[in-house]
Amino acid sequence: MNGATVTIHFDGNGRVYHPGETLSGEYRLHGLEPDEIKAIEVSVLWHTRGKGDEDLAVHHFRRLEPDNGGWLAARTTGRFRAVLPNSPLSYQGMIVKIEWCVRLRVFLSQGGEVLGEKIFRLGRVASAKAAAS
Amino acid sequence: MSRDHDPPAAENRFDARRLRPGAIRFHWRPGQSAEALVARLERNGCWGQIVGPHGSGKSALVAAMRDAIRRSGRNAVVIELHDNRRRLPVRLHRMPDPGKGAVVIVDGYEQLGRWSRFSLRRFCRRRRLGLLVTAHASVGFPDLCRTSAGLDTAGDIVRDLLGDEARLISDEEIAARFHRHEGDLREMLFSLYDWYEQRRRGSGDSSAGSGV
Amino acid sequence: MARRFRVWQKKRGNRRTGSPKLGSFGEAVFFAAFFLLGCGGLAAVFATLVVPQWRANHEFVAGRCLVLDSRLGTKQADNITLYRPEIQIEYEVDGETYRNWTYDVRGEYSADEARAEKILAQFRPDPNRRCDCWYDPSDPNTVVLVRSSGWWAWLTLIVPFSFMVIGGGGLAYLVFSWGKSTERRAVLAGRAGSRGGNGHATSGFPCVPSAKNVTDSPGTTLAFRLPTEAATAWKLVVTILACLVWNGIVSVFAFGAIGGHLRGEPDWLLTLVLLPFAAVGAGLALFLVRQLLATTGVGPTLVEISDQPLRPGGSYRLFLSQTGRLRLDSLEVILACDEEATFRHGTNTRTETRRVYEQAVFSSQSSDVRPAAPFTAKCEVELPAGAMHSFKSDHNEVSWKLIVRGDAAGRPRFERAFPLIVHPPQNGNPDA
Repeated sequence: MNGATVTIHFDGNGRVYHPGETLSGEYRLHGLEPDEIKAIEVSVLWHTRGKGDEDLAVHHFRRLEPDNGGWLAARTTGRFRAVLPNSPLSYQGMIVKIEWCVRLRVFLSQGGEVLGEKIFRLGRVASAKAAAS
Repeated sequence: MSRDHDPPAAENRFDARRLRPGAIRFHWRPGQSAEALVARLERNGCWGQIVGPHGSGKSALVAAMRDAIRRSGRNAVVIELHDNRRRLPVRLHRMPDPGKGAVVIVDGYEQLGRWSRFSLRRFCRRRRLGLLVTAHASVGFPDLCRTSAGLDTAGDIVRDLLGDEARLISDEEIAARFHRHEGDLREMLFSLYDWYEQRRRGSGDSSAGSGV
Repeated sequence: MARRFRVWQKKRGNRRTGSPKLGSFGEAVFFAAFFLLGCGGLAAVFATLVVPQWRANHEFVAGRCLVLDSRLGTKQADNITLYRPEIQIEYEVDGETYRNWTYDVRGEYSADEARAEKILAQFRPDPNRRCDCWYDPSDPNTVVLVRSSGWWAWLTLIVPFSFMVIGGGGLAYLVFSWGKSTERRAVLAGRAGSRGGNGHATSGFPCVPSAKNVTDSPGTTLAFRLPTEAATAWKLVVTILACLVWNGIVSVFAFGAIGGHLRGEPDWLLTLVLLPFAAVGAGLALFLVRQLLATTGVGPTLVEISDQPLRPGGSYRLFLSQTGRLRLDSLEVILACDEEATFRHGTNTRTETRRVYEQAVFSSQSSDVRPAAPFTAKCEVELPAGAMHSFKSDHNEVSWKLIVRGDAAGRPRFERAFPLIVHPPQNGNPDA
C-alpha cells in the first residue's frame, strides 16, 4: 500500500467546461495489486472553501465492486463520464470559493483508503475582489 | 469585479478547513506532553478540565488527548458542543458502551445547562467512565491543563500553516496581529486569511488547477 | 495518497465526534432491540389474541348448553376493580358431560361493570332453556358462548407494529449507510447537486435560490416589483417591542419610587437601583425615535425591474419611487454583491459578510418628496459579464441586491435592500 497513488486525466487536457457539456476522462491506479482493491468510487462533486464551513454535493457517483460489470478493467484503470449541471459554477470569491473536482476513492482489501482528486473548472466566472469602500 | 478568467486555484493556507478544531496540532510547552497529561488525568480518577480563553487551543488539545488516551489502552468518546447548546446532542443511555475505563470528552462543557451537566456526571459515575471537559472558566473539575496562546505558539502555528511560504510574513506582522486580537489565536488566523488572499491576488498567482 | 483508517475521526460542526463505525454499531443494536421487541410483542398478541379468536370463529364446533350459574368476576389492578362476566354451562361432547365457567375466548377484564352486568342478564340460569356454545374439538374444556371480537382489539397490533417499523426502518437505514464514504452518503441523502445526477444534467439550477418571491409580485410600471429585505422591518418591530417591555417594567417600579418621594417617604435604594435601568430605557426610546424617523417619515421605497431572474452581462430597466414627507439631500441606487460564510469558531458560530462588488446605478441630489408627489426615477442597471450567479448552501452564500440609500434633512441616513436573483449565463458561457 505504501506509495500507492491515483492519477486522473481529463479528455481535452482539463479545459474549462460549461454546463451541459460532458466531462470525461480516465483514472489510473499505481502501486496497487488488483487483489488489494476491494472497491472503487468515482465522484464528480463540488465543495466550498474559504472562511465558511465546507458544503459539499455530489453530482455523479459510481461505485465499482467485484460483482459489478467491467471489474477487471476497473482495477487499475478506468474511465468516467458525466454531463455537467447548470450550477453552481466554479468561483474564486473572497471568503466563499466553489471548487469542482473528480474524486477517486479506492477501498483496500486490508482496510484503509487511497484518495485522488483533480480539480476542473465549470463556467467562466470572474474571480472576486473586495469592493472598494 | 476583475475580469480575470483564470483565477488562482491554490488553496488559501488559512482556509476554514485548515483551522477547524483538531486540524491544527497542539503546540506543547517544554516539558509538557500528552502522555504526561494522561497520567495526570488518571491520577485524578480520569476526571479533569481543560480551561482557557477563546482560540487558545483547547480543541486542539482535546484532539491530542483523545489520541493519547487511546494509546494508553482506554477508549475515548468526544462530544463537541456549539452555539449555546444546552443539552447533549446524544442520548446518554443510547450511547454504545465505550468499554471499561473509557473517557468521555466534552468540548464546550459550559454550554450545557445544569440538568444536562448533572445527567452527564451521573452517567459517567454510574458507568465508571472518565470525564474530561473544556471550558473558558473553571467548572469545578480537577485542573488538567490551562491553555493560553503565547506569541511564540502563534508564530509556530502561522509558520506551520504557511509551510514553504513562511518567509512571506515577518515576526513583527505576526506580533502585531496577535496583540490586535488580544491573544485569540483563531481570530488572528482568520485575519491572516484575508492577508493571504490579498497577497495571492496582488502577486497575480494564477497557477493551473492541481491534480493527483 | 494513502490514508490510514482511523477508528476515531474528528468531525466538524456540532455533530458528535467519535468512531462512525462504533456509533453505527451502537445504533444498530438500538434499532435491533426495537425490532426484536416489536416482533416479540407481535408474537404475544398473535398468541393470546388473534389465533385463539380465529380458532373460535373457524374451528370450534357448535353445540348446545345449559346455563347453570352466572357471576361477576372481579380483580384488582392498580387500585381499580375490573370486571368480566362468568357463566357456568353444562354441555355434552361425544357422550361426556362437561361443566365450565366461560363467556368468550379472551376472558378479558374491563372497568365497565355495567356492560358485564348486562351480559350476565342475557345468560340467567334456566333449566328449560338451552343456549348455543362452541367448543374446541381438540380440548372440549375450552368453550365459549360468543365468538365475534371487538374491532378495537386489532388496534393492539399497532404498538408492536410500530416498534417493528422503527426498529426495522432504522436497521435498514443503518445497513444501507454503514461504512459508506462521504460522497456515497451525500448521494444517498439526496444532497446531489441535481436530481438527474449520475451524468445527467437537469434544466434546474441547483443551489441557486428560487426567484419565486420576486416573480410572483408584478409591478405597476415595470414587470416585477422587488420585495425588500425583511431585516429593516424586523429591526423596527424588535426595537418597539424591546422599548415597550423594558420601559413598561421600569415604569412600574418608577411609579412606586416617585410616589414614595412625593409622599415624603423616599426609598433611596430603589431609586438608586432604578437609575441605570431608566437610563437604558431612555436610550432605547431615543433609538426607537431615530428608527421611526428613518422609516416612517421616509415612507416606503418601491423598486421595480423589467425582468427577473437576471443574467450576467444583461441590462435591465429600473423604476424607483420614494414616498414620504421629507427633503432629500441625496438618493442613490447601488448594485451590490455580498459573500456570506458561516463557520464554527471554537464553540461559537460566526457569520462573516464581505462585499465583493458595488456599482452606483443612479444618484440624485436635492429633491423634495411629498405624499402626493413621490420622487420617481428610471434608470438602467447592467450586470457585469462573468459575474457569479446567486448561490446558497448550508454555510455559504453569494447574494446580489439593489440598495437604495438616502440622506434626508433632519433625519438619519436610511438604507433599504432589495434582493435580486442572478442565474448563470445562458448556455453557461458568458461569451456565447
